[in-house]
Formats: sequence, C-alpha cells, structure tokens
Amino acid sequence: MERRLGKLMENLDYILLLAVILLCFYGIMVLYSSTRFGYGAVTDDPLFYVKKQSLWIASGFLLLIMTLLVDYHNLERFSLVIYIFSIFLLILVILVGRVTHGSRRWLNLGPFPLQPSEFAKIALIIFLADFLSKNRTKLENFIYFLLPFIYTVIFVLLVFLQPDLGTSLAYLVILLIMLFVVGGKIKYLLTILVVTFSSLPILWSFLKEYQKRRILVFLNPNLDPLGSGYNVIQSKIAIGSGGLLGRGLFQGLQSQLKFLPAQHTDFIFSVLGEELGFMGGILLLGLYSIIIWRGIKIAREARDLFGALLATGVISFLFFHIVVNIGMAMGILPASGLPLPFLSYGGSFMLANLIAIGILLNVQLYKMKW
Amino acid sequence: MKESYHIPSEVAQRINWVLICIVISFLFLVINLWHLQIIRGIEFQERVVKNCIRSLVEEAPRGQIYDTHGELLVNNRPNVIVSIIPAEVDNLEELSHRLSPLTNLTSEEIIQKINKNIDNPYRAVKIFNDCPQNTIIEIEERKDKLKGVVLEVYPRRNYLYRELAANCLGYVGEIDKQELEKSKDSSLQGGDIIGKTGLEKYYDKILRGEKGGKEVEVDALGREITTLLWKKPVPGNDLILTIDKDLQAYGEELLAGKKGSLILSNPYTGEILALINQPSFNPNLFANIISYEDWQRLSTDPDYPLINRAVQTTYPPGSTFKIVTSLAALEEGVTNRTRTIYCSGKFTLKDQVFACWKEWGHGSLNFVDALAQSCNVYFYNLGKELGIDKMEKYMHKLGLSEKMGIDLPEVSSGIIPSVEWKRREFNEMWFPGDDINLSIGQGFLLLSPLQMHSIICATATEGLIYRLHLVRKIFSSEGQLVQEIQPELFRQVDISRKTFQLVKEGLRATIVKGTGWRANSSEISIAGKTGTAQNPHGENHAWFVGFAPYEDPEVCVTIFLENGGEGGEVAAPLGRAILEQYFKM
Repeated sequence: MERRLGKLMENLDYILLLAVILLCFYGIMVLYSSTRFGYGAVTDDPLFYVKKQSLWIASGFLLLIMTLLVDYHNLERFSLVIYIFSIFLLILVILVGRVTHGSRRWLNLGPFPLQPSEFAKIALIIFLADFLSKNRTKLENFIYFLLPFIYTVIFVLLVFLQPDLGTSLAYLVILLIMLFVVGGKIKYLLTILVVTFSSLPILWSFLKEYQKRRILVFLNPNLDPLGSGYNVIQSKIAIGSGGLLGRGLFQGLQSQLKFLPAQHTDFIFSVLGEELGFMGGILLLGLYSIIIWRGIKIAREARDLFGALLATGVISFLFFHIVVNIGMAMGILPASGLPLPFLSYGGSFMLANLIAIGILLNVQLYKMKW
Repeated sequence: MKESYHIPSEVAQRINWVLICIVISFLFLVINLWHLQIIRGIEFQERVVKNCIRSLVEEAPRGQIYDTHGELLVNNRPNVIVSIIPAEVDNLEELSHRLSPLTNLTSEEIIQKINKNIDNPYRAVKIFNDCPQNTIIEIEERKDKLKGVVLEVYPRRNYLYRELAANCLGYVGEIDKQELEKSKDSSLQGGDIIGKTGLEKYYDKILRGEKGGKEVEVDALGREITTLLWKKPVPGNDLILTIDKDLQAYGEELLAGKKGSLILSNPYTGEILALINQPSFNPNLFANIISYEDWQRLSTDPDYPLINRAVQTTYPPGSTFKIVTSLAALEEGVTNRTRTIYCSGKFTLKDQVFACWKEWGHGSLNFVDALAQSCNVYFYNLGKELGIDKMEKYMHKLGLSEKMGIDLPEVSSGIIPSVEWKRREFNEMWFPGDDINLSIGQGFLLLSPLQMHSIICATATEGLIYRLHLVRKIFSSEGQLVQEIQPELFRQVDISRKTFQLVKEGLRATIVKGTGWRANSSEISIAGKTGTAQNPHGENHAWFVGFAPYEDPEVCVTIFLENGGEGGEVAAPLGRAILEQYFKM
C-alpha cells in the first residue's frame, strides 16, 4: 500500500499541478483587487470574497486528491448512473432552483448554493468518453453517430431552459471535440454543424428577450451603450488602458470604481487586463497553455481510448471557457456569461475545474498498470 | 514497468489537430490583446483619463393631481441639485472641502454620501437639494475648481394648497432600504422618489412614470462632446380626483381648530366629494428629504396630523350605531313599527343598572320615536333580545368585518366583537351586559369614521354599498384618458327594503323632532343620527351621520370630532352646514 502510494506520488504530473496551483493564487490576487472594497451592499469585509473563494479552492483540492485515489477505469461502471443523476439535478433546478438575474441556476443545499450545470460538464465528459470508447467502430453508422448527440442535447435543452446559453453551448462544443477525436467522420460532423446552424432561426424564437438582446448587442455594442453593451465597452476601455504593464495591482481605475456589474465573476479578466496589462494577460495565457500542453500529452499517452477521451473532454471544457470568456472581455465574442477557469469567483465552477484537473491527473497516473 | 501506447494512431492524430486549433485560438487571443493593449492602449488610456462617459439620470416628472373640476392640486417644480460624478473627481478630500461652505454640509458628510450611494462612478451622486440661486451662480463661476460637480434639475413635488386634503394626498420621499427590498418593481433604485402615504402611495406606479437617462461623453473640462444615448423620460399619469376642492376647503374651515374627520360622498357611485382630517400638515415639507426638526415636530404631535383619522383610526361609534341595532331588530322581528317600550330612565339587568341619557326617562316610545330620541332603554331591550350572535350576523351583512374598499393604503378595520372574539382576546365568556353596551355602540366595538360612513351609505341606498374612491379618472401626460374608474358595487346588503325604509323614517324624525334638530335645514330635507360616544380617553367623541335629500338621497355625510362633546350639539350643525353648502354649489 505504502509502496503504491509512493509510486503514485512519484508519477504525478507535477508541472500540471504546479500550473493549477499558481493559477489559483493568481486568481485569488485578482479577486482581492476587484472585491476588496466590498461589492455593492453585500459586505464591508474586504476579504469576504477571497475567504469564500479560498474555501472553495481548498475543498476543490480535497476533491482532486480523492479523484486520484481510484483508477479512472472505475468510472466506466458508474458513467450511466452519473449521467442520469445529472439529468435529475438539472430537472430539479428548473423545478425548485433559486432565481437570480432572471435565470434559475442554483440549487439551495444548506448554506452552499450549488450549480448543477457546472458538475454536469464533468458528468457529460465521463459519459461520452465511456460511450464513445466502447462504440468507436459503430460510429461509422450515422444512426450511431447521432446517439451521443441526442444524449448531449438533453443536457443542452435542460440548461437552455434555465436559461444559460453559454453553458449549453459548452456542452455542444465538448461533444463535438470528443466526437472529432474519437474519429467521427468529418462528413457527419459537418452535417450536424450545418443542421444546427440552419435550425438557428427556430432556436432564435425560443430565446428569451435578454438573450436576443445580448446577441444583437454583441453584433453592435452601440445599440445599447447603457445596458449590456455598456459592460463590453467599459471592459474594452479597462483592458485597453492597461497597456503593456498595466496600472499595477490594486491600481485599476475603471475596475476599482466598481463600474462592472460582474467584475469578480464574468468580467474578472477586465480587472486583470487593466491592472497587470499585456504581460499579465500573457502570464495567464501561459499558465493555461501549460495545462493544455500537459493535457494533450496525457491524452496522447493514455493507456486506452477511454482515458484519452476523458482528457480530451477536460481540455475542451477548459479551452472553451478560456477563449469565450477572454474573447467576451475583449469584445470579440458575445457576452455569454461563461466564467474564466480558476479565476472567476464561484464555488461550483471552481469545484468542477479542480475535479476536471483531478481526472486529467488520474488518466496520467494510471496509464500504467500497477 | 513499461509505458505503452494503446490509443489508435488515428486518434492521436486527431488530438494533434485539436492542439493546433487550440494554439491558433490562443494566438488569436494574444493578437487581440496586443491590439487592444499595445496598439490602441494610449487611446484607451486617454479615454479613461480625459474623456469620461457621464450618465445623467433624467427623472420623470410625477403625474399631476387635479380636483373633480380639473383644478390643479399637486404639480412639480424644478429643484436644482448639486451632484458629484465620482469618476471625474481627482481629489475627493479637497473637493469636499471646497464644496462644504456652499452646501452647509461638512466635508465628511459629503464624502460619506458619495461612498454610500456610489454604484457606477459615471452616475452622479446627489449631494445637496434645492440649491439656492446664488449658490448656483457661485458653482457655475468656479466650475474649473470644482471638477466633477454638476448641477442637475429634478422635478420636485409641489402641493399648491399645502394642508388641503394633505392626509388623503399623502406625501413623497426618497425610497428607503426596506421599501427597496420589499418592492417587486425592478425599475426602482436607491434615491428614487416614491409615494410614501395616501394617494401618492396607492397610485405610486401610475404617478411615477419612467425615468430617462443620458449617456454623454465629456472632455477633461467637463464639456459634453457627444451624446451617446438619450432616453426621454416618460412623465407619470395625472389623476383626476372625485374631491371637490371648494367643498373640501369649506369642510376644512368647518373643522378648523378641532380634531376630527368629515366624509362626504355620493352613495350611488362611491365618489368621495370631500375627505377632511384635522389637524393637517404641509406635505411640501417632505417633498424630497424632510428636515429632522420638521419630522420630529410632526411625528410626535399628540394630535397626529400625519394620520388619516377617517380611515386609519377607530373609535366607539356611540348612538350612531343604533342604526345597525335597528336594522337587526326590525329584520329579525324583535321590534316593529308599533311596538312600544316604556323608558323610565333606567334599565335593570339582574343587579346591573344601565341608564338612559335622559335621566327621568322618555316614557312610552314606538320605534320611530325611540330612534329619533335616541332612547337608550329602547335599544337596551332590543340588544338583550337580539343577543350577540344575531348582532354579529348583521354587522357581517353590513360588511364591517371586511377591509373597507377605498383607494388608500393603510385602512383600519376596527373591532367587531363576538363571542369568539372575546374568548380569544380576554379568555372570557360573553356576558348579557356586553349585549346591552353593544346595542348603543359602546363597549368593545370600535369603528373607523369610514366604516360608519359605509353604514349610512347602505342605509341611504337601502342596501347598496359602493366601493369608495378618491380618483375618478386617470389621464396620460398628453391628456389622453387612460382609465375611468367606474362605480363598483362593493356589497349588496341582504336586508329587506322595508326595514331600511322604516329606519330611514326614524332618521328623518331624528332631524325633524329628535336629537338631531340642530341639523334641520329649511332648504333641504336631511335625515341622520347623532352620537355621543363615551370613551376612556377623556371628553366624549361627537358623531353625526346623515344623508340628503331624505326622499331621494344624493349625498351622505359622516362627521367625527375626537373628544368633541355632544354629537347633537357640535357635530349635527356641522353636518347641516356641509350639506347646505353642497346643495348650494
């Protein structure tokens, strides 16, 4: 047992782990800068958000360590249970979830509200990895190819109903990348993409007024300089004024004056960009690149297809969030409300991030039989 | 142990493709970041330092309020407010010291106000209200030294006739934290002006309108360069009241110097023509932020000038309540037109003695005379024979146990005693003596003047109670009719017309030859009932309820004078006066 633990410790991907730890510290620092004057009328304690976030990070690492203890192959047995349980939670949210800012995203579990849609990303990755690795050869058949699509659409629709446009898109992207990696025919993938895009007008009619507005405002921010467009314009000004080195940590003008309604969650990159400048942004992207690089390596060296797909799913998940969130802050992608991994304030998302890293480390750890 | 690659080479290849996509995406982000921060960085830095985006709120003027003939009662006047745009201030400490002598606020107070109210640094924070002309000039002249200070013009509520109908109109003020939390209206923000009491509160949503805003880009000197967005405020809707300003003023004159209420309404529509409460107050004092001294004075005044006495407070109704006892007794067959009862001036119940107000007794009286003379002994007998359960049934029938229908907030319901009520409140049984007290409107019973008024309305119309209202029409600011309030039958009382007619006969006799003779008018035929309610808080309360003309009622009146004395002596003459005035106009 002790020998086994020693071996495990020896084979852990410390580069990946270090990058994640550094990112968490980086996030706490920027979070402190953006929330230390209290936020709104919530609290006077400058450390209020930092304390809460630290607690989430600590619990996240605990979960991460727990994920490491068991070989990821055990997940195969539970993938269906995980999948069904996630659907159950997503339905529960729609029925009894707490409403904030016009959408139902949270389940009230004691003092900690949980956001099942975040954990559903992990569940989806596990379920798809299991399904795709077992049915790889059958995917030649278009009907079989459609199955994982249907499994995912259930998640997409349930989250879409909350409504949370960004997250439902994330599910689709995770599916598409995993399908691509497992060897899905490009022809099929393109067909699905074309069908999806041509059904956009129908989906459009299902969108809530605010979501339609968000998309329209993204296409032309000047439509609404007081509302959602205002955030993007101010975010661009904040990032732009950061220059090469930024105003210095805790020195941001735009962000310190609390002009951004979600500067500790969705728009945390604006604070980082203003205070730490281009170099700060590069440092962040650099740390993300390390995670992606290690992730890709782990995927390629995985013991089997299941492991490779798990790693791919985790990478797609993180990658999509990073690009969409930073793109939004810079005003080149729509304001979709997707948080920035390891930086944005938010418990469920942080836990989901760290569990995902745990899975990644696990795939690398158990690539050999012990 | 040996590392081994188990995944198909195809998959490995596809993973490489994913990697390439990710690298391209990241490069795309880096290039954009470079473009935003390095190439356009200087431009954005200038925008932050020099060109600020100012968002200025344009408050919507609240709807105006007119009397029934279209005479203006409440409008708005411009109020210049000194505000600070936090984002444009270089040194808040210094600025607050400069601004302090101009605004009679200490510099600490100014800083506190900003810190408390900042939610967007480009949004002006209000510092000082009702800026006088010379201060406006001084600020304009020293604009360069007062960077970040702006003068904003807000509409301010103006009650043209000050105390007139103030308790009904209510007043406005800044929304407080509790109201903000309780409100379901998401358009409300801290600092907004809302109706706090009276019609201003009840019709707040209609009166408030929608505020607008302006987003302007200003240069370093505070000059507006471009207007990015302008949303015009939508003024609130106007109210046309049912109140007749002249009648209201006449009534307030009648009650001047007294404590009490007067309600005058059309029983067939529920329109209130006058609703007077004395003493009153000047709602202009509240128009934005009331001074501490004024608030202390008004809120601790033992005569409660802020209270709408007619609606919000309850009293024993005394003999005016004999109308209800009459209705119950006639309908239940306990008495009739011809039944006579002998009044010796005393009524004995076991070992308790209840006196009539006429010490030596009325002698033998039939029903009409008993009501006209307000003979207590006659009604003691009725009360004893009816018992509480039947009395309760008729109080319910008249709708007394329900909340009164009127378009005002905070309506009091009084106390309608019953066996069950007494057990709950005192854990005591209902004694026969309680029946005796209730029959003449004493004991536990408490009614608001408005509830008493609905009883006289129901009697005048022989069973119809219309929902009382103060607003007749709602117009948009452009003069378009938005809503016309139609008479709404609130309750149809399940008592026979014959009963009502006999009671009305008694009420007419009260004026012609009974206790209400001081209300007898040579010009119009008035019917009514006086009341003198004993109470533990000093001098008796004086009541008068009545309607006219007797043959075909057009208008009902209720007068209540707190600690006013004898109803027949002080309230009845006022009743005649207001009714005569009504028919003169």
